[in-house]
Amino acid sequence: MNSRRLYKTSLLLLAALLLTGSGILQRSLNRDRDEFGLTRVQPLENAPPVLAFTTVALGGFRGLISNTLWIRANELQDEDKFFEMAQLADWITKLEPHFVQVWLVQAWNMAYNISVKFKDYSDRWRWVERGISLLRDDGLRYNPNETLIYRELGWFFQHKMGQNLDDGNMYYKQQWANEMAKIFDKRDPNLDELIHPETPEQKERARLLREQYKMDPQFMKEVNQTYGPLEWRLPEAHAVYWAALGLKVAKENPSKIKPDDLITLRRVIYQSMQLSFHRGRLVTNPLAERFEFGPNLDIVQKVSDAYEQAAEEDVKNRDHILRAHRNFLRDAVYFLYEYNRLPEAASWYKYLGEKYPDKNLMEGLTNSTPSHVTLDQYAVYRVIEDVNEGMDQKRVQAIIEGMLANAYQSLALGEDERAAGFRLLAEKVRTWYESNTKTRFESIPIPPLKDIQRDVLTRLLDPQQGLPPSYRAAIRAKLPELGPEPAPDTSTNAPAAVTNAAPKLSNR
Amino acid sequence: MQRLLAIAWLTWKAAFRFRLFIVVAVLLLASVVALPILIKDDGTARGFTQILLTYTLSTITALLGLSTLWLACGTLARDIEDCQIQVVAVKPIARWQIWLGKWLGIMSLNAALLFISGASVYALLQWRAGRLPADEQKVLRNEVLVSRGSAKIPTMEKEIEAQTEEVLQDRIKKRPVENAYLPEVKKQIREQVKADLQVVPPGYSRQWEIELGPAHRYLRDQPLFLRVKFNSAEKSPSGTFDGVFGAGVPRKTQLWRSDMLSLAPDTFHEIEITPNCFDENGVLTLTFGNPNTTALLFPLEDGVEVLYREGGFGLNFVRGLTIIFCWMGVLAALGLAAASFLSFTVAAFFSMGVLAMVLCSGTLANAVSEGTIGGYNAETGSKPGTAADTVIIPAFKAVLKVINLAKDFSPVDSLSTGRTISWGTLGVAFGRIILLLAGIIALFGIAVFTRRELATAQGTQ
Repeated sequence: MNSRRLYKTSLLLLAALLLTGSGILQRSLNRDRDEFGLTRVQPLENAPPVLAFTTVALGGFRGLISNTLWIRANELQDEDKFFEMAQLADWITKLEPHFVQVWLVQAWNMAYNISVKFKDYSDRWRWVERGISLLRDDGLRYNPNETLIYRELGWFFQHKMGQNLDDGNMYYKQQWANEMAKIFDKRDPNLDELIHPETPEQKERARLLREQYKMDPQFMKEVNQTYGPLEWRLPEAHAVYWAALGLKVAKENPSKIKPDDLITLRRVIYQSMQLSFHRGRLVTNPLAERFEFGPNLDIVQKVSDAYEQAAEEDVKNRDHILRAHRNFLRDAVYFLYEYNRLPEAASWYKYLGEKYPDKNLMEGLTNSTPSHVTLDQYAVYRVIEDVNEGMDQKRVQAIIEGMLANAYQSLALGEDERAAGFRLLAEKVRTWYESNTKTRFESIPIPPLKDIQRDVLTRLLDPQQGLPPSYRAAIRAKLPELGPEPAPDTSTNAPAAVTNAAPKLSNR
Repeated sequence: MQRLLAIAWLTWKAAFRFRLFIVVAVLLLASVVALPILIKDDGTARGFTQILLTYTLSTITALLGLSTLWLACGTLARDIEDCQIQVVAVKPIARWQIWLGKWLGIMSLNAALLFISGASVYALLQWRAGRLPADEQKVLRNEVLVSRGSAKIPTMEKEIEAQTEEVLQDRIKKRPVENAYLPEVKKQIREQVKADLQVVPPGYSRQWEIELGPAHRYLRDQPLFLRVKFNSAEKSPSGTFDGVFGAGVPRKTQLWRSDMLSLAPDTFHEIEITPNCFDENGVLTLTFGNPNTTALLFPLEDGVEVLYREGGFGLNFVRGLTIIFCWMGVLAALGLAAASFLSFTVAAFFSMGVLAMVLCSGTLANAVSEGTIGGYNAETGSKPGTAADTVIIPAFKAVLKVINLAKDFSPVDSLSTGRTISWGTLGVAFGRIILLLAGIIALFGIAVFTRRELATAQGTQ
């Protein structure tokens, strides 16, 4: 009896020993399998025990179950029943954790196809977030070296949230900005605080960044130095981050990467940087209690460099990229001019002329190469081009009035540089109109700028039909010569009087 | 009756002897408790409730269905194999009473189990709903935990048919059509006529009048829900189209107008309408403005529908469970019928096979709609048409008809979308599932069991 017990005990010990041994050997075996290309499928990493067990226990049947679930998901989607989709996507991807296309399709389906099925933007946003989280939280966890997942993640930020194709894009941006504001409370956050957090508040923000958004502050700092300064509360910065991380991973695993994958990652970077340039600056509007977006003029150099680098590396699409680069430079010049950053505008205008000397700047106008057009002429042309109109007096006056209204509103929001830029442009547009119509007998003159300015201000400050009170107060605070708003006259219905003196906007 | 109850009581005793009742009850309760923890919802209270209802009720149906089949096969076949049935059969009781008593026993067991699990699901839903913020509770009570009736736009079949005929005759007069092409020409004209009633051209608006019927008397001061779906002629880059809905008649009813909505085509959208937009006759006038550059088409069948509160969730839930109970009646009859002439293992296998066929009815329906069991080309619509199809397709059609007698009622679906399962629907379901389907199977089972020579059964003894 005792010998039998001893026999059983020794067998158990042997089993335990063998299991331990195989556990130790498994890692090196997996490494060798990977290295010698003995298996198509990589061993599952970072998987929870249930998933590890399921993938091994079900073996080849996993595919069948996954297919059945996929069919059910399609049927439910056709019937507009989306409440099960998150669960089904979770099961499908977990059954095929190494099948990259499964992750991509499921995430795309949620972020693009399902989201737009809802009329409320809050519902749409939930699905966009779910698509992002599927790739970021699970897809990358099981496939940390798959560049396609990084590219897709970057694309969701760049295209779904960043672009304006979805009617809900502003809501997405606002929600993302609100979420990110919990981590980055200002435009140029101190990333060192998140790399080496000291206070409990910093530690909490760093934890949120690492655990919820799966981002590494150290790498963010590198990205910021290479491509920034970026506004991390906006989606474009995150598109750049994930694409840059994909490139980094690709460099670490060069044998597994196709050249096309790298090109798509770089494309995400320069396109997102271009978007960042266009509206990569958050402007807090305390009066309307929301964020607004302005151009990030500090990254012109880096965006231009990114385009040039991409053109160099992607020979097949070189011409397209250079065309996009030229368009970017044209925008950069105009935006810098609009923001009254005239020396920088002149410098980039010069660079545009050097880089693309024989390309016309004005559509349909031959001989409008940079050497034949001055910076002022180009800026005015862009204004006119924006509204696609010619010499119609009413139209041009409306443009000038619009610019002055923008100037006053920018002033109310504390955007003094922009206000001055609009004022300057209004002046230039008026001068351009005058010089182009003075020889025309029948042309109607536009009133002096001072008069237009006074009319615009009267309209904006009108308590009945003008701007909201908070804006009016902000404008009056910036322009003390206007004085306080008169008390409403209760005896008549006439609007409150506004001073005739046109306030001066500095051209700083 | 006493004899039937005695046999039913024996069935209960057998269920406890096999520990089936306890095991199934524990499994059912475990599923109700575990599923809300395991499943991933879409993040909304509405989505969570819908997925909870769907998964718990589906699991309950599956578990109860399997246990019903197993018990039905076991309780009769094993009694025969173990020769215990001989002890009962020699008593003053008819064979049909034994059979029916067992069916009643199984059904009463099912009723008890369904009551326990159903009550648990209901309590869980109410408890979770009670913990939600007020606004989410409102959405839940208005859209899911409710029993909603519906009113649709008239399908105008007669008018369409008459106009189609008129246009067709006119066309034939102007240019004769060969008889062979007549059906196709008529079909095309019909679609054109129908399109005129469905399309909202770009920049135009369309008006529909929906009769709410007698329900309008209790719908005063209650919100209505517009459920709409449209198709578009072109694809939009954003995937959505703008649209504005309005309800009511000026100077006659309350007026309502939606904001500019961003709506996806081919999808159902629910939009809340303010109360009292219908007139004294219960007619609700709806308008849709199409500001897009493409035409939008609202199908007459399901494009425009108005949902309204008809009753509470509790009674609707009970009616839904009763339909599930009816399904169990068929399965119990099937198991007993199989066990009437087969051994336990073969009866169980046969019953499971039938159940599998019911679950695969989608594949059967697909084969029937394609008209072939293989080789259908979806792109060209061509099919090889084998000899086997001439036999198999009609057989599939017949099987589908039988299956659909029970499958046409989907209580899980209705409950999770807050749709009313009316008493009328329940009555029809009872008639079709229990009286017709289970009745036919029961008659067959009883007939076989009555004729069977019980003493010849070779069991495991």
